[in-house]
Amino acid sequence: MKKLLGAYRQNGEEHLILQENGKVFVQEGNASEFENSVLLESRNEYVKDVLSKEEISGNDIFDFRYGPVTSGIGEAGIFHLYTYGERILSVKIDTSYKRRGLDERMINSDINDALKLSEEICGNFAISHSTAFSRAVENALKIKVTRDVELLRSIALELERIYNHLYVISRLAQAASQQVLASHLMGLFEDSLVTNKIFSDSRYLMNFNAIGDVLKIPSRKELKDVSDRVKKIENIFSKLYENSMSSGNYIDRLHLTATLDAKEAELIGLTGPSLRACGVKEDLRAYDEMYPEIEITSDEEGDSLSRMEVRAGEIFESLKFVRKTIDDLNLADETTSPNSIGSGEGIGWCESPSGTIVYHVEIENSKIKDVYVSTPSVFGMSAIAHSIVGNIFTDFPFVVESFGVNFSDAAR
Amino acid sequence: MKWWPMIGISKVLTENKKYATKTDVKRMKIFKRSLHIYTIDVGNSNILNFEMRALQTPKYNVHRFGMYFAASPRHADLLIVLGKPTKKMIAPLLEMVNQIPEPFGVMLLKGCESSGIDPDELKIPNVVTSVNGCLDPSEILAILLKISGRID
Repeated sequence: MKKLLGAYRQNGEEHLILQENGKVFVQEGNASEFENSVLLESRNEYVKDVLSKEEISGNDIFDFRYGPVTSGIGEAGIFHLYTYGERILSVKIDTSYKRRGLDERMINSDINDALKLSEEICGNFAISHSTAFSRAVENALKIKVTRDVELLRSIALELERIYNHLYVISRLAQAASQQVLASHLMGLFEDSLVTNKIFSDSRYLMNFNAIGDVLKIPSRKELKDVSDRVKKIENIFSKLYENSMSSGNYIDRLHLTATLDAKEAELIGLTGPSLRACGVKEDLRAYDEMYPEIEITSDEEGDSLSRMEVRAGEIFESLKFVRKTIDDLNLADETTSPNSIGSGEGIGWCESPSGTIVYHVEIENSKIKDVYVSTPSVFGMSAIAHSIVGNIFTDFPFVVESFGVNFSDAAR
Repeated sequence: MKWWPMIGISKVLTENKKYATKTDVKRMKIFKRSLHIYTIDVGNSNILNFEMRALQTPKYNVHRFGMYFAASPRHADLLIVLGKPTKKMIAPLLEMVNQIPEPFGVMLLKGCESSGIDPDELKIPNVVTSVNGCLDPSEILAILLKISGRID
């Protein structure tokens, strides 16, 4: 099914950014024909359940405003929970407190400055954003990227996936009061941030990408160190995961919590591990030649447990990919200095830890004339708003954390 | 059901290093043995939020210094402001400062992003330090130790 990820106007015509069967493309059309088009208009202010048209109201129903400052939500955002006590009847998510207008600031700025702004949108998806942005610019200016650069970017993308997925699973464990598991996972999370620093000189893989290039080529010693650390993370995580799956207390909290079926997920525009947990085997990496042996992890039930299992499976897959790619890596000594001057229009995308990130850019004399950013957290938040209905407030952290969304990513 | 593997018991997981910082801070020695911290995200790119989570991992083991993360500002001694505020977050931030019981301190971690309003301009009371740049958890811990008077 075609999923609407974004829409922009060009020469009076509406262009839609769509994803179908693991491929992203642009075509002319009318966004309002898609159920989730309302998200594209409102995402700077709020995100709601696009599949429910009825307004919830009644004598005892009140708006429980959770945020923007609460220890239950790590970021500056508000969940408006409509409830009569414990059961959640409807949710509206206010993203405006985190709106920094970074995409608007990119307009008229230099390409390299805009690249930095793309990293700022969401620090824990920094390499995903910068890769999607760089690919859009490279596409627009017809810059050819070497295989070495693509491989190094792929390793960085997988390192980002590993630490984000570890973080999500540790948050789920914490929500289920599995403190020992959560502490071990947070230890691994910190280890993976240290690994990122060895690979890219930044714990969050920032300032690693450049247009048509990467700014750091790790030395052989650093690559060996990364490979060894990844192996260690794999060993510990596999033991922890095996044990966690035999803990009834933990599994019970996740099982059948916030269930979403494949059709609903696709109508909302969900991508990434949350979509794959609904049984849709769709991953942009499947068509990327840097990933010749990737096995797409998916699950059937579409609940919080499935989303956690898909993320765990992807951690193993990413760890394997990083080790194998480093082992096979034979970097050429020569470097390229791409010429990022000119004008053009292009689209770039990548599979971030929580779904598809797409950038559409128009460049005029090496400055950004227009940019459209599609982020996965917008659709993830709408999926939260839809799947949480009927669950009780006690399940709230499992629903929110299992989708791995960020207010910074949604609000830009 | 299996027991959790006790990976941490036989090994020293805690980072074994000396902490030092040149950051200027106003010391709050009253909290030397017990410092309760509350953090507020005012619009950072999520890096500082993640670094605060990383600081709470067993590797840094902040409890050995009597540092705890509170779930409410009413239980806190130190408010850490993460990032530069967006316009809409200024009011919640100032309200948060109102809610902390005396005596308290405010630590401004501005991060390395270009967006937002400089929190120094908000004239927040009891600011004990204001730091620019992306700090890693070791650096943040060193500043906290200096604030509580545990290191010079």
